[in-house]
Amino acid sequence: MIRRVVWTPIVLAGALAAGGCDEKLKSVAGPTPNLEPTFASIQREIFESTDSAGRTACTQCHTSTGRNPSGGLNLNHDVAYDQIVNVPVRGKPGAIRVIPGDPDNSYLVQKLEGSSAIVGRRMPSNGPPYLTDGQILILRRWIAIGAPRN
Amino acid sequence: MRFTKRGSIALSLVFGLCLPSALLAQEAGGDDVAALKLAEPDFTLVGLPTSLRVPTFRGSFRVTHRFRRPLNDGDFGDLAADLFGIDSGAQIGLEFRFGIVPNGQVGIHRVSNRTIEFFGQYSLWRQGGAMPVDVSALATIEGTNNFKDSYSPALGAIVSRTVNDVVALYVEPIWVNNTNALPKQLVDHNDTFIVGVGARVRVRPTVYLVGEYAPRASGDHPGVSHIAFAIEKRAGGHMFQLNFSDGFGTTLAEIARGGPQGHDWFMGFNITRKFF
Repeated sequence: MIRRVVWTPIVLAGALAAGGCDEKLKSVAGPTPNLEPTFASIQREIFESTDSAGRTACTQCHTSTGRNPSGGLNLNHDVAYDQIVNVPVRGKPGAIRVIPGDPDNSYLVQKLEGSSAIVGRRMPSNGPPYLTDGQILILRRWIAIGAPRN
Repeated sequence: MRFTKRGSIALSLVFGLCLPSALLAQEAGGDDVAALKLAEPDFTLVGLPTSLRVPTFRGSFRVTHRFRRPLNDGDFGDLAADLFGIDSGAQIGLEFRFGIVPNGQVGIHRVSNRTIEFFGQYSLWRQGGAMPVDVSALATIEGTNNFKDSYSPALGAIVSRTVNDVVALYVEPIWVNNTNALPKQLVDHNDTFIVGVGARVRVRPTVYLVGEYAPRASGDHPGVSHIAFAIEKRAGGHMFQLNFSDGFGTTLAEIARGGPQGHDWFMGFNITRKFF
């Protein structure tokens, strides 16, 4: 009897602890429920796609397909990573588009958040809608963990 | 949920403590659980639990109040004008615990931010003879939004020692999962391991001074570590406590998350009523 009394709460507590209590990424990702902090996901869900909130895909302007990419930034699938990570900003000397490990000083984040430090307009230029706080949080996380080519 | 290495170690420690005790745990036996323990008169220090047992099929009720106005906000005149924070809103908790088996208790603690915590505690070893300390196992789970969102389980141990009828000392290693409100993909740590330490000193026949500190040994550690001190008065089955803390957490996950950055201090009180 005593053993059962002791074991029951312990097993119950273990089951509760192992039961999966974490928040779901979907709850943060908002209008892009499949968005994850990986480059492939950001490319697919943010750069190349509109979302259910009506935000415009970045590649509508930042593409070399049939036009000169806006701001000299080409986010087409095969070149996007090399266009942003550790690449200087054309219109703002000293600024870097994505600084691995440093989302606060990455110009891409500043442009998407509409920071006072940016030159020109907040992106997307036809916004609102802009990226949601959750979408930017996921983008920030990808940069914070080193902006890997994953 | 992915078990971290740290989480697994914490679980192993708790289970390691519990397994042999399954064989050693005794029924209440000769000692009178309902009798007043002068050095350990209450079930909590300020926010951290104590080793005090609830007699089987008896209960205890507690009200917690943490006024949200920082005591260090403005000058003394501002503070006095707000009656030291009493005029401001408060985070209020209601708690009931019940002895379900000898040495075992369960309870529920609901906070006015709509967090509900369920907890269970089992006394494994009693201080006395060759045993220098009390050891209890503790398991809790809390959920926000009336236990519908964001669940945070915790496992831990309460190690205490009373000295005569004057002092009670506590060390409480506790692992709390899901302390970060964000998904694990977006954070470096999603659990917190705290090592709570605390003491209660009986300075007058019915007056106590209480202090507790819950530094985060590892894991997520936003803000500042929970620290609190209090003065309290025992009156029959009641304990009236006036406390000061650097946050207003009263559940284990809230305590693990610590207080807000900036070293604010808040006033509050606890009232406990034993029904035995």
